[in-house]
Formats: sequence, structure tokens, C-alpha cells
Amino acid sequence: MLAGAAAPAADPVALEYAVKANYLYKFAPFVRWPAGAFEDASSPLRICIAGSDPFGTTLDKAVVGQQVGGRSIVVRRIGTAPRPRCHILFIGRSAEALATEIAPGEPILTVGDRRRAPAMIQFAVVGGRVRFAVDVGAAQRGNIALSSKLLGLAMEVDR
Amino acid sequence: MIRLSRWLDRIGRRLAATPAIGIGLAVALLAISLMLAVHNEGLARAEKTRDAEIQARILAASLAGPLAFDDAAGTREYVEALSRRPDVLVIGAYGDDGRVRASFTRRGRPLPATARIGPPIEAAGELSVTAPVTQSGTRLGSVLLTVATESWWARATRYAGIAIVVVLASLLVAALAIFYAQASAAHRQLTEEIEHRREAEEALRQAQKMEAMGQLTGGVAHDFNNMLMVASSGLDLLDRTDDPAKRARLNDGIRQAIERGAKLTQQLLTFARRSPLTPEVLDIGARIRALQSLLERSLREDIAVDLAIPAGVWPIEVDASQLDVAVLNIAINARDAMPNGGSLRISAANLPGEGDRADMVGLSIRDSGTGIAPELMQKVFEPFFTTKGVGSGTGLGLSQVYGFARSSDGEVRIESQLGDGTTVTLLFPRSSKPLPHRIYRAADQGTADGSRRILIVEDDDHVAELVGQMLQELGYQSVRAQQATEGLDLIGSSGPFDLVLSDMIMPGRMNGLDLAQELGRRHRGLPVILMTGFSEAAASAAAEGIPLLVKPYTIDALGDALRKALR
Repeated sequence: MLAGAAAPAADPVALEYAVKANYLYKFAPFVRWPAGAFEDASSPLRICIAGSDPFGTTLDKAVVGQQVGGRSIVVRRIGTAPRPRCHILFIGRSAEALATEIAPGEPILTVGDRRRAPAMIQFAVVGGRVRFAVDVGAAQRGNIALSSKLLGLAMEVDR
Repeated sequence: MIRLSRWLDRIGRRLAATPAIGIGLAVALLAISLMLAVHNEGLARAEKTRDAEIQARILAASLAGPLAFDDAAGTREYVEALSRRPDVLVIGAYGDDGRVRASFTRRGRPLPATARIGPPIEAAGELSVTAPVTQSGTRLGSVLLTVATESWWARATRYAGIAIVVVLASLLVAALAIFYAQASAAHRQLTEEIEHRREAEEALRQAQKMEAMGQLTGGVAHDFNNMLMVASSGLDLLDRTDDPAKRARLNDGIRQAIERGAKLTQQLLTFARRSPLTPEVLDIGARIRALQSLLERSLREDIAVDLAIPAGVWPIEVDASQLDVAVLNIAINARDAMPNGGSLRISAANLPGEGDRADMVGLSIRDSGTGIAPELMQKVFEPFFTTKGVGSGTGLGLSQVYGFARSSDGEVRIESQLGDGTTVTLLFPRSSKPLPHRIYRAADQGTADGSRRILIVEDDDHVAELVGQMLQELGYQSVRAQQATEGLDLIGSSGPFDLVLSDMIMPGRMNGLDLAQELGRRHRGLPVILMTGFSEAAASAAAEGIPLLVKPYTIDALGDALRKALR
């Protein structure tokens, strides 16, 4: 996989998170949230970062001007606050315990920062490239429908 | 169906009149073919555009994931899959930043460096379509697809085959139309020519007949002179004698002379009558016997005419008057070949067929004349060939004989020895048809009972007087009218009558035929007998089916006709 070209090439870790930031909002078009996940048709898509923020300003810059299905994107850093009201929740390695806090059936696409993280989508770096695995079962439990195209791109699909 | 056939008939007539319609049809065919080609071409181009757009959309849909998540290998895979289509020239897959992610170009075609979304562009045999890559309404990139459309030349080549067929078909239609119109014109011309020729032939036949008659005139005039001599000297002698026996003999002689004259003129009139060429089944013996008296009287007295026609000669189917003319022509030639007298023998015989030769009837006319020189034998049937001096022969006689024999499917043979006479033999095919049924009835000599009333319409006082006396002799009452209109009035005022006996040619606005037709309307069932000496008039009466007495007629013939009409 190609790395996100916008990030400085010098720092491999910065590059890795630039790519992850890019992916994070691009998952949105391949995901269908249940009705009621959004307040109304124009309410923005909220991407939350739980735990320490590995992206810095990269994510904020990436989502500027981007829209998903007519919705603008907002980024929130929620630390370890319980019951987050998010559509996409990035669970950093330091905040994985938070995953257990999310009520069953809460329509939040959870994205973990490592393989086997307690999340529906789990980032992994394979051969120096950012890839992701998908846990379909977790997604179903969260009432999140994932596009088959996303599954097709996943390095692994857990059922 | 009837309307269709009428319509086709009308088209056919117009086609026959002018090739314009056919050429118009050909042009219309060409124009329709051209329009169809243009229409199909438009459809094909629309189809091609739609196909390219669909391919671009499929590619765009497939590329959503790979483009979103920078799956370069996946992107390339989809692009390569599509690039296997032979008509694909350029494929560009652009990311959401508008930059190229994967591409394919054939034969060094340039790839636009940045994405473009817009309507299809077609130029120089290439069609470029674009499609956005979107997922759930989110724009993830775009694709560009350029395919080869057929070049003008390739399209022309593709259409050339069918175009050649269409053009050839149109030319064929036009050519057929022209040919048909020409053929129709030629047909019309031919029909006219045939008609002219038929008229000319008829005129020729009549001329030949009159020519033959002209040859007869001398003999006939001589014969008439003899009859007049008998009649006039007989009348002179009647005035000078009171001996009843002598007077009866003289009366007989005069009557016989008049009967002979009447018969002769009757034959001449029949012979001269203009008639269409109509073959009929006839008994050659009866026909020749009927001609015998004319032959005997018209040839010179120093020529003996001898008939040797046995009973049982097969019937033949020929034109009767042409047969008469042929026999007369041969007889006239024979007469001229016997300047010092001789004999003319007419014989007929059946000639049974052998092998594939059909049964024939032979009619031979042999003279004891000078004969024909061998070197002239080949020429005698040629028109206008004659050995006679200027003014005595036209050379058409034997050519008529030859033409008549050929047109009757027969042939003519001539055998001659110088100094030993000539035999001309006419051969006719035997007819398989029966002879027309003829009724020969012995004349009933009885007289009527005097109760029947007959209206005579006759303008000539002498004839009317004589006919009245004959009717009285036969036991009929008679009333005379001078004209047809007077006759009609008399039927109203002095009727009823049992029969009307009318002359054909009369002064006044109605002739005998008109009278007969008027009587047919006013007094259906009243018999009419017409009298005439004119052969043309006789023919028209016969055509109307009205009984006819040909003047001069005998009292027996009158009685017979009346009995037949009143039966």
C-alpha cells in the first residue's frame, strides 16, 4: 500500500498515522449506520479519538472540507470519557479499556490501533504498509453494516 | 385483395407508359436505404457511447474501495481487466485529489494528468467518457475511459457491401422499369403492325379474288349473252306463235335461261363478297360441285370440265372462299395454257398417312395444256411471276394458291411436262371435326289454304306486283306497303298479318333490317322474311338471324321460306 503522500516522508510513525487518519474518515462511505444514529440529515459525522491522540493535527487537516454523504466531519478528542456520542471511535492503544464501556447495540464504528484490539476495524502494519482487519461479528452486534467492498479490501475478516 | 390487384394493375399500366415511376422507385429505394443507414449509424454510436459509459461506471464502482484505501494493486487489477477489451485505448483512475492512481494507454496515447468529469467527447475515431468514483455520495475519485470508435473509412467499408447490393438492386429496378416500358411500347407497336398487316392481307385476299373474277369476266359475259339471246329470241318467238305446245317449250327455254343467269350471278356475288378469313370444316366434293357451273361458264366453251370426286372424301378445315379462289386461279391458269381448247379434270382423293405423316386430302386439277418449262417450275409460286403478256395476268394467282395452302397447314405440288399438261395438287390435312349438320329437305310443293295474310313491303312496283302474284299462286293473301313506315301503319290499321315479307334496301328512314328490328320490339312473334340481291346486306341480315330470300328467287324458294317461317 502506498503511504499517504501528504505527510512528511522522514518520520515513518508520522507517515503511518497520516495514512490512518486518512483511512479513518474514508471508512465512513463504506459504513451504514442505523436510523437514529444521526440527529437529522445535516448533522455532522463525528469522529472521536479516545485515549492519547496519535494524529496530532493530521486528522483535523485531512477532514477539512471533506463530506461524507452530505455531512461535514468533525473530530473530537474524548480522552477516556465514558458513553461517547460518536459515529466513528478511534480507540488508541491506551484507551482499549473504554471499548467495554460502550453499550451493546450502540451504533459506533470502533477502530482499534492494532490487530486483535477490541474493535470492529483493527489497523495493522504489514510489511511497512497500513492495512486493516474487520470483525464482522462485532459490527453486527453494534448494528453497523459494512460494505462488502470494505471487506474485500480487508487483510482479514473475522466472523 | 381486389383493391390490391387493381392497385398493382394501375401501377403496371403506369410502368408500361413511362419508366419514370420505376426510376422513382429505384431512387426511393436508395433514399430509404441511405436514411436507414444514417439512422442505424446514429443508433450504433449512441449504443457505443452508452456501452463506454457503462464500462466506465462499472470500473468506477469497482475502484471505490481500492481508491479510498490506496490499494494500488487492486486499482491496477481492475484497470488491467478492462484494458483487455480491444477497443479500449486509454484508462485513467484518479484519486480524490485528482491525481493519477493507475492508468493504461494503448500505442502511446497521452493520458490526461488530471481528472476531468464531463460529458462524452468524441473526436477522431475516439470516444472519451468519464465517471466519478463515489461511495455513499462521497466522491473518492474518477475514471477516464477512451475507446476507439470506428473510423469513417471502417464504417464506409462496413456499409460498402450492403451499399453495393442496394445500389445494384436500385439499378436493376430502374433497368427493369425502363425495359418494361420499352417492351410495352414495342408490344403496342407490334400489335398495331400486326393489325395493319392483317388489314393489308385482307385487302390482298380481296384483291386476289377480284383479280380472279376479272379473269372470269369474259367467259361470264359470253354466257350471259347466250342466256339473253335465249330469252329475247324466245320472247320474239312467243309473240309469233299460238301453238300451246311450242309456247310451253319456249317458256321452258326462257325460264331455264333465266334460272341459269340467276344462279351465275348468285355465285359471282357470293364469290365477290368481302369476308373475314374463317376456316370451316367442309366437304371438298360439295364445295367443288357448287363451283362447277361457275367454272364451266367462265372457262371457254372449248374446255371440258370434268369432276372426279368420289363420295367419302375426308372433311378438311379451310376458308371456303379462299378454296374457291385457289381452284379458280388454277383453272384460269389452265385455261390460258390451253389456247386451243382441252380438258380440265378436277379430282380429289384421301391420302392416308404413313409413319408420322398425317392423313391428308389431295385435290388435283389437271389440264391438257402446254405445260411449264422445267426451268420455270421453281418460279411459278413467286408473287408477280407471270408468263402471260402485259395486261392479261398479274402473277398473283399461284402465289395466292401457295399462300392459301400454307396458311391451311397444307402444301401444293405441281407436276408438268412440256406439251403434256400440268397437274396442280393441293394437299390439306384431314380434319378430325365432324361436318356441320345440314338439313336438306325436299321442297314441299303444297299450297296454303288462303287464310294466311302476308304484308309485302317493297318499293319497286314491278317486284311487288310479281311477289303478290307468286303469293297468290302459293295460296296466301297479301297487302303491299311501299315503305317501312307505311308497313308499320298497315299492321296497325289492316292487321293482323301472319308474316312480313320486306325488301332490305328501301327509300325512307327505315330499311328492311330496321323494320325487322322494330317489329321484333313492337310485335314479338310476327315472322319477318327479308329479300335482297345485295350480298353485303344479306350478310348483315344473317348476322341478325333473320331469314333471307336472295333475289332473284323462284316461287318454290319463296314457298319454302314461307312455310319454314310460318311453321
